Order: sequence, then C-alpha cells, then structure tokens
Amino acid sequence: MKKSMLGVIDATMLPGEMGDLALYRSPAAIPFAGRYRLIDFVLSNMVNSGVQSVAIFPRSPYRSLMDHLGSGKDWDLNRKRDGLFFFPSPTKEGQLDRMSEHLDYFHRSDQKYVIVSNCTTVANMDFAPVLDRFIKQNCDILEITHKGEPTYIYLLSLDLLLRLIENRHETGYESVQAAIEDEASSLTKCHYEFEGFLKRIRTVDDYYQTSMQLLEKDKWSELFNEFQPIYTKVKDEPPTNYLAGSYVTNAMIANGCIISGEVNHSIVFRAVTIGKNTTIKNSIIMQKSKIGENCVLEHVIIDKDVSVEDGAVLRGTPEKPLLIKKGSVESAVTSS
Amino acid sequence: MAKQKCVAMLLAGGKGSRLKELTENLAKPAVPFGGKYRIIDFPLSNCANSGIHTVGVLTQYQPLVLNSYIGIGSAWDLDRKNGGVTVLPPYSESSEVKWYSGTASAIYQNLNYIKQYDPEYVLILSGDHIYKMNYDAMLDYHVEKQADVTISVIEVPWDEASRFGIMNTDTDYNVTRFDEKPEKPESNLASMGIYIFKWSILQKYLEMDESNPDSSNDFGKDVIPAMLADNLKLIAYPFKGYWKDVGTVKSLWEANMDLLDDEQDLNLFEYSWRIYSVNPNQPPQIIGSQAEVKHSLVNEGCIIDGAIEQSVMFQGVEVEEKAVLKECVVMPNARIGRGSFIERAIVMSDLEIPENTIIRNSSNDILLVTEQFLAEHVEQQTKVEEA
Repeated sequence: MKKSMLGVIDATMLPGEMGDLALYRSPAAIPFAGRYRLIDFVLSNMVNSGVQSVAIFPRSPYRSLMDHLGSGKDWDLNRKRDGLFFFPSPTKEGQLDRMSEHLDYFHRSDQKYVIVSNCTTVANMDFAPVLDRFIKQNCDILEITHKGEPTYIYLLSLDLLLRLIENRHETGYESVQAAIEDEASSLTKCHYEFEGFLKRIRTVDDYYQTSMQLLEKDKWSELFNEFQPIYTKVKDEPPTNYLAGSYVTNAMIANGCIISGEVNHSIVFRAVTIGKNTTIKNSIIMQKSKIGENCVLEHVIIDKDVSVEDGAVLRGTPEKPLLIKKGSVESAVTSS
Repeated sequence: MAKQKCVAMLLAGGKGSRLKELTENLAKPAVPFGGKYRIIDFPLSNCANSGIHTVGVLTQYQPLVLNSYIGIGSAWDLDRKNGGVTVLPPYSESSEVKWYSGTASAIYQNLNYIKQYDPEYVLILSGDHIYKMNYDAMLDYHVEKQADVTISVIEVPWDEASRFGIMNTDTDYNVTRFDEKPEKPESNLASMGIYIFKWSILQKYLEMDESNPDSSNDFGKDVIPAMLADNLKLIAYPFKGYWKDVGTVKSLWEANMDLLDDEQDLNLFEYSWRIYSVNPNQPPQIIGSQAEVKHSLVNEGCIIDGAIEQSVMFQGVEVEEKAVLKECVVMPNARIGRGSFIERAIVMSDLEIPENTIIRNSSNDILLVTEQFLAEHVEQQTKVEEA
C-alpha cells in the first residue's frame, strides 16, 4: 500500500512574476524559510507519505535544482530500486507531451497511483489519507484543494495517467490539470480539502508575505514538526554565532551565521554575516550574503551571495519589498 | 583490498568516567560538543580533511550511540568503496572473548584489519580531544625525518605538565625519554596521543608487547618505552593551535566556552577545514519576540524565547519566556521552563527543566544538571522555603 504511489513534480513553471528570484534558477530551487528550497516541501511530503520513486520534470535553467537534489540522498531517495529521477525535455512544452518522452519510466514502475504536483507549494501534507479517500470514493482523478481553491496537486491511477499521455492529441489535454478542468469529461473527479497551512508561491509578493507569515509561531508549527520533517540538502555549517552587541528578536535564523547587528522580524539563511550597528527589519537575507556595518535594511529580499557594503541603506515597502539580485554588490553610494 | 599509504586507527572505547552522567550511556567520543558536534567529529573530520580515508574506529565501552552515529561514515565523506570507516568492536576467538585491555592491545587485536591495506604507515588517534590538525603534514614530517615513530606534542603550561604524558627531547625534537604524569616534569611537551608508526615496526612491537605478560598493553606506558630502549628513532612533532582534552565536566564546559571567545584558535567557521557531523535535519532556529540572545552559539531546531548569555545551545533546545541562562551548555532537545534561571552549568540532553527552577552556582565548579540533580535540588529548595 505504502509503496504504491509514484511522485511526479512538474518543475517547468515559468519564472513569471517571480522576477529576479528566478533569474538564474528554476522557481523550484528558490531558497525559502531559512534553509530550504521551494521544492523541498512537496518532495519531503511525498517521501514522508511513503513515496519511494519521484520523477522531476524540470525546465532550463535547472543547474541549481540539480545541484540541490543531487542523488536524492538527503531525501532518502538514493535507492537501488526506485529513487529520484530527473527528466529534462527541452523540446516539448505541454506537461503530458513532456511525460510522453519518458514513458519508459511510467511503464517500468509498478506503483498503482501517481501524485502529480507543482513545485512551489509550501505545506506539510500527508498524502496517505488522500489516497485512502481516492480509493474509498472510487475516484478517477482527485484534486487537493485548500479553502476551496485548487492547489494544483492531483492524485490519479498510473493507468489513467498513461491513457492521458497516450490520448493527449485526441483529447487536446496538455496537462492533468486540463483533464480535471474539462467539465465535459466523463472522469469521476473528487476533491480533498487540505486543512493545514498551505501557500503556493507564484510571485515575489507571495514569496515575501508567506516568508513573513512563518515568523508567526502558529503558522511555523503547521509547517515544521518532528514527525514529518522537511528534508533539504545538508550543509555542514557550524551553529550560528551571536556576538556581543547583537540584538535579535522574532527571527528565523539558519546555521553558520555570524551576527553582530540587530535583526528584527526577519529570515536569515545560512552563513550570512551581519556587521555591527546594522539594523535589519522585515527582511529576508539569503545564504552567504554579507551585510556590512552601519547598514539599514527594511523590507528587502537579499538574494544569495550579495555584498552590502558598510553604511548602505536599503528600503522597500511592505507592499513592494526591494529585491536585490543574486551576487550583486550594494554600496552606500548606490543605495542612497 | 587496494593498498593504502596510511591507515588511521581511532581509539574510541574510552569510558570517560570523570564526565559523570554524561558518559553513563555513551562512550566519551560520543559526548556532544560545541552546539552540534560530538567529540569524535574532530578526529574524523581531521582524517577526511587530511586525505586519510581509511579509518578503523575501535569501540568498546557503551558503543551503541557511537556505532549508530558513525554509521557508514557518510557524514565525514568516509563512505568509500575502498577503505572508508570501519567500526572495530572487540570480538571473541575460539578460546576466549578478548576485551581491549589497553590501547596497544586494541590495535594488536585488529592487526588483520590493517594488514588488508598493506599500508606503509599507521596513524593512531584518540577520540577524546578537541582540535583541528592536518595529519598529512605530520606524515610528511615523519617521512622527511625518517622516523620510526612520530609523536605529536603540544606545549602545556609548566604547572599542568604533571597531568600529561611528557616527552623529553633534544633540540632536534628527538625523543629521549617518556614520563607518564611525572611529579617533577623536565619538559612541558605533552603527548597528544597521536602517533605515526612505520607499519612494519608497529606490527613487530605490538606482537612483542602482547607476548609480554607484565605489560599493561598501553602505548604510552609500554610500547613507546620499549622502542626508546631499543634506540629506535622517535621524534616529536610540535603542534601549535587549539587542543583540549575534555575529560571532566569542567573541561568540557570550558571547551564549549572557548568557542565563544573570539581570540581562541578553534575556528568552526573555517570553510577549508570544516568539522563535519551527522546532520540532525531540523528547521532553522527561531528567536522569539521576547528573546535576548547575547554572545552565544545556537544550533538549528532551537526555539529561544528567553534570555541566553554566553551559552551554547544544541539542536532542538527550547528556552521558554522569562527563562534566563548564563554561561550554560544545553545539550540536545532539553527544554528550559518558563521563569527558570540557570548559571554555569551543563544541562543534559532531553531534560525538562520545570518552570521557575532556580539553579544558582557561585562555586568554581560547573554543575551537571541531570534528572537526579533536579530531584535533589527541588527537595533542597522546598526545605529552604519551609525553613
């Protein structure tokens, strides 16, 4: 029973309104919640639900996504049988078209059911009760909803998925979503309402607001619990060092940081340094960025490897956070 | 098995009884250190960073935690097709079960393990110390000096020298005499328990030592003196840097506090010499809106709502609102109840400190806060209140 689900993650989402967050990377690989990438949530949910075979359909650029996933070891998916599969499909556009290029994988799998998911949904969800519902209600295709809205996560039988792929030209369906949205189809469609915390990240605003919500304890604890952990690529960072003069409140901080300044209501990823007399509020600082001394950062999203030089002042607004591109250098002069 | 130039043998069977309850259920090398590590992470990471990928780990006392922690060595990148980490517990032969009676006999009983790799050199390490060291540089020194044995030494303060095994050397670092814990030390070069032997010589002397019924089968007490008596070339390798034996509750606490001292030499943030450890896979730490975190090391999975100062927090520690910790080391997954106060103490793993527990410590000693300590402490507090 447990082994009976395949996981399919469609990571072909276009950057769209993700802006510079998806400049060099797949939206699936956007850093999130201090130490994760967006794909970690769906992938961990699958693994925690007993899925042992996961196929990822990426779109270029996918270097950072591949680098993140590696052999799948950190999700316990480096298996002799099953495991993690990466299926690029550079010439095809539609979801079912892409899958048609990798039919061998589906034919070779002996799992009976398939979860088809997008790559940027942030939630901690057990798919086992979803499968129970699917079987009990004799569904052909099940859509998970949240507050009545679609989550773009589906459960169907492998047989049906294969038929959808094979008949895609006759039906005109480009994706599983198209099949469920076709009111004329004869498929038995069901819904499963997910009650917990769930956000689908599609825009910079989604990203910023959802991140800030994680600083509320009740939201945070709906996403992180010890029984269904969210896995991610392991980095060997030391614990974070809070130096004399640091003042940190209401923050989520990853390992490997050296903090001398003030951090309030913010998320700090691993290996970030924050200099003396610097104030950071309502901001997100991604991994390995260096924030100098005497800086002021409010409502900003600092991508990876950014260097903010001493005395720089960077301000966005709650509605429009200022996004600083990966690898850029912000000096006091350019920012004022 | 493919030949390896150097095989490391890591002695990890130590009981560490002066660490009291900390080593009740685990061997000393498995004792947590520095917010996320265990002591054994240091020699294992040193091996990996030094390019020594064949490591036998000799376990004996309370090996369960250590064995499962080491696993197949992947945390240190020591899961190798050739070599890698092998845990070597004592085993029984047809006639008897052979416990490791001393450091030398532990290696002797695993000569077959070393033979598989037909090495030129054998590096002997102990799993009891905190330090970063390039063993490959020591091996270069050993080869360059054409030594039979190279012993890593560190200068210790003269008034502490009588606590160590002391190497007396000439000006070229040739070892002339070895004194185990001398009352009147004539040198302050302490042996760090790190040896490089020529494999052929090690094998010969271990066999001799084993057949000597009067021997206590210890490298420092028996094997090294026997080699000195035979005029072999023993040379000291002077090490400079941070090195600490964390043999007592106080020294373990001190070594943790050293990490908060910006002036000391043990830099955990050095990218080129990472100390690896098994990742507990917990979410980032949460610092609450009422929290005050001053001059502390905090690991992933912690939830800090109280005030911590000059403290080291391992993964999964929770400090509730209005709790205050000063100069404390809090082991994994302990929870400090609301309104508590603790100073100069090590708090055991998984311990729940009830709300409003006040543990003051004005002595020079460091308190080890355990289940039993709490029971006695609470009783005392009630008595004081009654009086």
